Amino acid sequence: MIWTFEQRRRRAGLLFVAPGLLLLAAILGFPIVDSLLLSLQRVQLTGDQVSHSWVGLANFERLATDAVFWKAAFNTAYFAVMEVLLVSLISLGIALLLRHPMGNSSLFRIMLIVPWAIAPVANAVLWKWILNANYGILNGILVSLGVIDFNHVWLGSPFSALNFLLIVDVWKSVPFVALLMLAGLQRVPQSLYRAAYMDGAGPFQSFMHVTLPSMRGILAIAIILQTIWSLRVFDLVFVLTRGGPADATVLMNFLAYRVTFNFLDLGYGSAIANVIFALTLLIAALYVWLLWPREPGGRR
Amino acid sequence: MSYARLQHGGPLRRLIVLIGLVIFVIWSAAPIVWLVLTSVLQQRALIQQPPDLALHSFTLANFTTVLASAALLGHGMVNSLIVASFSTSVALGVGAPAAYALARLPVPRANGIAFLILATQMLPGIAIAIPLFIVISRLGLIDNVLSLGVVYLSFNLPIVIWILRGFFLGIPFGIEKAAAVDGAGIFKTFWYIILPISWPPLCASAVFAFIEAWNEFFFALILTRQHAQTVPLVIAQFAGQYQTVFGQLMAAAAISVAPVIAVAVLFRNQIIRGFADGMMKG
Repeated sequence: MIWTFEQRRRRAGLLFVAPGLLLLAAILGFPIVDSLLLSLQRVQLTGDQVSHSWVGLANFERLATDAVFWKAAFNTAYFAVMEVLLVSLISLGIALLLRHPMGNSSLFRIMLIVPWAIAPVANAVLWKWILNANYGILNGILVSLGVIDFNHVWLGSPFSALNFLLIVDVWKSVPFVALLMLAGLQRVPQSLYRAAYMDGAGPFQSFMHVTLPSMRGILAIAIILQTIWSLRVFDLVFVLTRGGPADATVLMNFLAYRVTFNFLDLGYGSAIANVIFALTLLIAALYVWLLWPREPGGRR
Repeated sequence: MSYARLQHGGPLRRLIVLIGLVIFVIWSAAPIVWLVLTSVLQQRALIQQPPDLALHSFTLANFTTVLASAALLGHGMVNSLIVASFSTSVALGVGAPAAYALARLPVPRANGIAFLILATQMLPGIAIAIPLFIVISRLGLIDNVLSLGVVYLSFNLPIVIWILRGFFLGIPFGIEKAAAVDGAGIFKTFWYIILPISWPPLCASAVFAFIEAWNEFFFALILTRQHAQTVPLVIAQFAGQYQTVFGQLMAAAAISVAPVIAVAVLFRNQIIRGFADGMMKG
């Protein structure tokens, strides 16, 4: 039998794609299904034995009245909104700075890539030292500048702890998003700026009418990714605060971990994990719908 | 105002850019500088306020102590190296052909599949961690570097496929046509033509996957105990045990991040271009 060119290409395509898809299906397929099933069960670990019993939607009903869950949900919402806002604005600012001829040096790019490559755990350990109440450099600088009179326990009070968690995560997240936006800025064709200049546009107008519209796609991607990333912050909470003080820094992801692996309540933990998953999908879908570059003629 | 003037801006705009750049440099470099400084300062100098930065306070003792006493750190680095190399090479070996097929070969619903692969990245780690933990415990593969490496494919394979697919979409069709006219089959074209011209994105995705695996903490925390501990776990454990020996703690942290930072700085251009291409051409 003689295969036509097109048939051979189709067969090769399946052959090429199959191993990757099968591998992903094997690693992800079962856990996704099982995680949904687990959230409908009461699962207990006693010694090495796992006991399951079906409880319907009881785990989800429990969520509604669980004060810690709502606290975590509120913390997460605050954290995610602030994080996305701050990271997007700071990153766009840095990208614009680095596109300017004065900022066009590989030194600045290296300064962005280093915080990105640092392990989140090492970053958390570093900031725990910076924020140390007795010997931390932040207290040292602020006291010697006279901004504060005495050493503060930055991670000691609820509001301050959550906000420092936020600052540290923003510091860690900005570089990559800034590099992504810089790549986006450099893709905007120079001819568009020249045309805007010919039409008499000043710097502000060309930013509003050339830069921002051309960046729509990359801004959407950056915001979606950042939202997803901010919903899964874990390492930082684990090292810096363990959720304290008074659960002020318990984010939903950390709560799911704590319920599952410290309280060994696997079913309830799965229910929380599925809520995070559903939220992530919902937010991503919303952003795609709102921010994706539109086709000419107003169609999305 | 000339066009060149528009790009560079007047004196006021230059001043604003300059101030912005200075703030940016301080903001991003200061924590790193403090990490490095702490690791080469004596404990005595660190617990003074302000820290004693005189020449006699500097020492390499933190590094020698950590390297000599902490067998854990070396063990963790070796484990991280194994896990990261394993998951990166499998992700590249399986991901490169898949990405090529999704970009160039007539795979049914190629765009749908590509989007589905991206969508898996929205899964919170915790959702798949619980079932994986149960299964891997039953198989007796908890605390095993290779089972951790396989779990890391869940995020590394999608990253590699997305970065490479973005690149393959941009290759001119003429190259493959010329190869076909010369009688090369699809496998030969892929192996001898496509892969050799793709080494920048291949490097980018390999470096990206390696760094992600080296730094990963959450799955390692759940799926390892003593034997297969990776380096982030060792650092977190140090932070709990020796939380007042700041110099040694920072020396250990510096050692643990040095390899990936070196790689990231070397390949910075490929990483960012590869990632931007993969995301933009979706």
